[in-house]
Amino acid sequence: MNSEKFDEEMLTRELRSLAAEMEQLSAPPELETKLREAFRARRVVVSLARRQTSSRYWWAAAVAAMLLIALSVIAIRWRSEGVNEPRQAQTQPAPENPQPLKNEPSREVVKYRPQSKPHRVLNRSVRRPQNSEVANHVTREVATDFIPLSYMNVASLQDGGQIVRVELPRSALANFGLPVNMDRYNEKVKADVLLGVDGLAHAIRFVQ
Amino acid sequence: MDDAQLLRSMLAGDEEALALLYQRRQGAIYRFALQMSGSTAIAEDVTQEVFLFLMRDGHLFDPAKGSVSAFLLGVARNYVLRRLRVEQLLSPLGDDTDEDGPLFQATTDPCPLEDLTRAETIESVRKAILSLPAKYREVVVLCELQDVSYEETAGILGCAIGTVRSRLHRARALLLAKLRPADVEDADSATVKSARCFA
Repeated sequence: MNSEKFDEEMLTRELRSLAAEMEQLSAPPELETKLREAFRARRVVVSLARRQTSSRYWWAAAVAAMLLIALSVIAIRWRSEGVNEPRQAQTQPAPENPQPLKNEPSREVVKYRPQSKPHRVLNRSVRRPQNSEVANHVTREVATDFIPLSYMNVASLQDGGQIVRVELPRSALANFGLPVNMDRYNEKVKADVLLGVDGLAHAIRFVQ
Repeated sequence: MDDAQLLRSMLAGDEEALALLYQRRQGAIYRFALQMSGSTAIAEDVTQEVFLFLMRDGHLFDPAKGSVSAFLLGVARNYVLRRLRVEQLLSPLGDDTDEDGPLFQATTDPCPLEDLTRAETIESVRKAILSLPAKYREVVVLCELQDVSYEETAGILGCAIGTVRSRLHRARALLLAKLRPADVEDADSATVKSARCFA
């Protein structure tokens, strides 16, 4: 071989010869036996693992379900407490001024937020009133719409503020064009005065 | 039943499907590993590893990307290269390609001298292939010895067909350079040198 020059054609021929010579080579027969044994062993291991996995899965699912139920109960209780707390705070009279003077109108202060700007509801599954403080009054009392005072316009109601509960002589209804029951003329009527951020009274509504 | 169906059956737990697939494809994998490494021990290990991989991760085969044969050769290539890297680290000074001696016996030829010469030539080619860098060796083994198409080779190596062609061209040039007798090379280089000197 050393005497002849190797060219492309000869290289191709020799490569083909090498491929043909090696064509008959194959892995030893015992390899197949080993692989079959490995396959059987693996099949057993896989089936056992599947069984263990399925039992583990059911245990995990049961634990997860219990945790979910416990968390749901805690969340529901927490929410109900969160709703009740402000109601109790509103209904309890202020300790500094347990009995209002007769000459002054009695006052309860609650925060007012305009209903045109709704709160973002985090959990839609539990429907809460948009303004629980106002809603408490609404559910227990009948009230008129807020009537803007003469020097304010309706747009100023959108700025928010504080609602102050007062008691006025029933004759005050007439000042706002509302009918007055003359039989109860001497009685007082409850009203909510909406104070703006500037401290001025922006609107009033009458409550029964 | 084609290879993909056999693979599905095997993954479903059919041992006979494994046996059939093994009988069909083990030869090509074994030869590829042997031609790449020059070691029968590595070739056997790689063949075993490839089929163990197939049992474990056969679901990774995607028929859209190529045939089962190409998939197996790709896996075999990864195992061979990994094994060669380890071997290189373990025996940096060894010329281990000869540890198993000639990989095949000379054919029964009527002329003993011709038989001997032929065996010697083939052995020289085998050694020359083994001395190539891995990226050239694998294209020679796949395209020239395993008769895999350029397209499939590109899929196995994860490169473009053009890359396969250029690597094969370069590999053949390297083989020719290695297989040429030293005196012929010297004569060629001397001619070039003198031409340069007189230019």
